[in-house]
Amino acid sequence: MGVRLNLFAIIGSIILLLVILELIRRRYLQERYSLIWIVTGTFFLLLSIRTDILYRISHFLGFYIPSNALFFFGILFLILIVLGLSVITSRLSVKNKILAQEIVLLKKRVADLEKSLRSPE
Amino acid sequence: MGSMKVLVIIPVFNEEETLRGVILGIRVSLPDADILVVNDGSTDSTSNIARKEGVLVLEHPYNMGIGATMQTGFLYALRNGYDIAIQVDGDGQHYPDFLPSLIKPLLEGHCDLMIGSRYLSDGGFKSTLLRKLGIKFFSSLIWIFTGKRVTDPTSGFRAMDRKTLELFSVEYPPDYPEVEAIISAHKKGLHFQETPVAMRDRQGGASSIGFLSALYYMVKVTLSVSIGSFRRLK
Repeated sequence: MGVRLNLFAIIGSIILLLVILELIRRRYLQERYSLIWIVTGTFFLLLSIRTDILYRISHFLGFYIPSNALFFFGILFLILIVLGLSVITSRLSVKNKILAQEIVLLKKRVADLEKSLRSPE
Repeated sequence: MGSMKVLVIIPVFNEEETLRGVILGIRVSLPDADILVVNDGSTDSTSNIARKEGVLVLEHPYNMGIGATMQTGFLYALRNGYDIAIQVDGDGQHYPDFLPSLIKPLLEGHCDLMIGSRYLSDGGFKSTLLRKLGIKFFSSLIWIFTGKRVTDPTSGFRAMDRKTLELFSVEYPPDYPEVEAIISAHKKGLHFQETPVAMRDRQGGASSIGFLSALYYMVKVTLSVSIGSFRRLK
């Protein structure tokens, strides 16, 4: 990997980490969901600083060019994160449905109560 | 002092074996307090037991975690004019006998948040070694961020005055809230203290914390508190 690409990777991962931390600080990202991002960012920073680790891994896995290994890990993390998000979204949509149903039932109960208050017997 | 309205909040998730005993114990030691059970989506008969005992009951439509459950209780306490709210776990770990000593300093206005510490008392159930290490870790964390010593930072046996409730009703982590809550109370300029209490090992149900979640607890709180120190309180 060339020096320029290396520098670019280091700066990129640092920016990624800073953006993640800032998002948590502004409460746009809950700590619970930030861990995978922090792990990803740190991993990329590590690989761009210690390129020898990247070389060793890519050699071990049989990549011809180390930057291909980096792409591979990038895509792997993206798949993990997107899959995780799909699970979270599914869970949220179930909860959202339950909430809506609760509200509908409550509305009906309140309306019935109001009616019975207005016309006792 | 006698005119203070006190609410005991019991967050519950599947505590059918122990809840009744907890309610009866609270009634003996704090006869004038109201009792609120916040049911966090239990799938057993917990809710029926609470209703049969005639206490106040709020039901979450699904499981939302201990932080959200307590916060529901705090909102109820604030909107219904309570001066003091106490958290007592529904699993029977907390001896209700200590309730009067837990709220006394709050009634007298000496502090805003009182934490019952099992490490300030002799006897009673302490904890397993691994948990003790975790607790040491959190104590140090609190010391770093507040300069104060808290011997039992994960204790859920707590009492809060209205000022603390106002903070916690807007700022309370949804999961593993205990340690962060102490630090945000400190940031808000609220005074917290500890008082000795004895605890039992849980009487029934399953602990909410396994090894992996303990690890997550520590990582999450450390992250949250560190980033939180760059954040201004609302």
